[in-house]
Amino acid sequence: MSDRPTPSPDAMIVLDGVSKRYPGQDKAVVSDLSMEIRRGEFVVLVGPSGCGKTTTLRMINRLVEPTAGRILIDGRDVTHVDGDELRRGIGYVIQQIGLLPHLTIADNIALVPKMLGVAKSERRARALELLELVGLDPALHADRHPRQLSGGQQQRVGVARALASDPPVMLMDEPFGAVDPIAREKLQTEFLRLQERIRKTIVMVTHDMDEALRLGDRIAIFDSGSRLAQFDTPLEILSNPADDFVRDFVGSGAPVRRLSLLTVADVLGTAPSTAAGAGRAIEVDPGDSVHTALEQVLAAGAEGIEVAVPEEGSRFLDLGTLLTAASQPAKVLT
Amino acid sequence: MSTAAMTETSRSAAGTERKSRTWVLPSVVLALLGTLWLYVGSLDLDSVEARSLAGDVVLGALWQHIQLVVVSTVLTVAVGVPLGVALTRPGIRRAGAIVLAAANASQAVPSIGVLVLLAMIFGVGFWMAVVALVLYALLPVLRNTMVGIRQVDPALIDAGRGMGMSTREVLLTIELPLAVPVMLAGIRVALILNVGVATLAAFTNAGGLGSVISSGIALDRMPVLIVGSALTMALALTVDWLAGLAERALRPRGI
Repeated sequence: MSDRPTPSPDAMIVLDGVSKRYPGQDKAVVSDLSMEIRRGEFVVLVGPSGCGKTTTLRMINRLVEPTAGRILIDGRDVTHVDGDELRRGIGYVIQQIGLLPHLTIADNIALVPKMLGVAKSERRARALELLELVGLDPALHADRHPRQLSGGQQQRVGVARALASDPPVMLMDEPFGAVDPIAREKLQTEFLRLQERIRKTIVMVTHDMDEALRLGDRIAIFDSGSRLAQFDTPLEILSNPADDFVRDFVGSGAPVRRLSLLTVADVLGTAPSTAAGAGRAIEVDPGDSVHTALEQVLAAGAEGIEVAVPEEGSRFLDLGTLLTAASQPAKVLT
Repeated sequence: MSTAAMTETSRSAAGTERKSRTWVLPSVVLALLGTLWLYVGSLDLDSVEARSLAGDVVLGALWQHIQLVVVSTVLTVAVGVPLGVALTRPGIRRAGAIVLAAANASQAVPSIGVLVLLAMIFGVGFWMAVVALVLYALLPVLRNTMVGIRQVDPALIDAGRGMGMSTREVLLTIELPLAVPVMLAGIRVALILNVGVATLAAFTNAGGLGSVISSGIALDRMPVLIVGSALTMALALTVDWLAGLAERALRPRGI
């Protein structure tokens, strides 16, 4: 393992040839897996059930002890440090949420600070602050018991609890899996907004490719047997799937899904200029996704988009040009 | 929001309902004692009866009975709860089945048999009776402790371990508090069992209300027998009522 390249300085979590084999089983759940997750990055592990993604996640905080390999967090080898102490410094959110029913919401959030010896009044203040952060009114919710909250509210508390000691790393195991679809989308959007503010290094497990595409900065797609089929940005996975397994797993509709990940600015470079003023246009922002732009054009019955480009003034793209440009492989675009 | 409010309303409604029901049992006990008082007062007691039903004799027996019940229950809990907790720990979980089987068997044996056997081996007296009572009442405490801890949602334990609790912290902050309602139910059963079985302690010379009953039988005096039995009943009901109150007070909020 010493012949492996040394991790880059901005690596937050490094898995170095990590394996997990349970005694009495000849096939390893995870075998010789190496990954590098950068500081502040949101990485989603996705794959069919039994591919070892949850085991991989649980090895990062050593709820599952790896049988081989090393794990580095923030440059420190944590493979053999005290597991309980390690976990106090890592946020952990699970699908079942796991709020303690006999404690109030505030006390649930303050569990880790309490273990770390933070004074009572300080813990309380922190809990209220975190409730505010995840969008729950502290005055209304702090002294309730978990049972009095809806599933979505409970998972917000679950996130708040994981953030309580301000850990640099958060591990999430299907955090939005138990919430109904409408609340899930809302939670996902809010969570993305929250992540923009707190910039944690997040590793999340899901079996839902749409969720992975929506949330991840990078997505690790596992094949059965913990083979890391592809580990790349959502756009790259949709544009250039590494192999048939990834293509199958992403499923149909990849070209259309790409449209929400491509920005108008991305496609401008490859799109031939059309004469401006050739038709009715909708003005869009270069930062808008192609999907949003299309939606507006179709809704208004317009013929194309008008984009303001800093050096050339504004450019007009008709629908056909926009779509052709958006269907180019992303390699050219980036 | 509205669901939460509804839950609260329905919960407080259930609370008042239960509160009103808590006064049923003591009223029954008081009615029972009042009837007993009137019945005994209406009788023309002969000298044997008068001697057996003298205030200090009956109250002494009652006090002995209470002592038997309290001491044996405290010891039962002191043995049963730690044992039950220990048997849910990963290393010796397997032994749990064996110990439960033994506890089951000890309860299947008729209590009078246990008492008499122990008396034959270890002699008679208060402490011997206590040992027999503890053996007899151990099962519900032990079983409910184990069941109470095992029924805790594994996801809660995973969440606790995941946030860095040691196994000991998981036991103290998650498993035990959540097992309390089931454990208390077991302790309550043990208490009630002990009130009943303690009447048999009279056969091993440990006193208690059983001595009033047995002298009623031996002397063929109906009123003595009735007083002994009725007081045992009243004690059992009172203990059950008190245990119910304690159960409600000690149950963690939110579950």
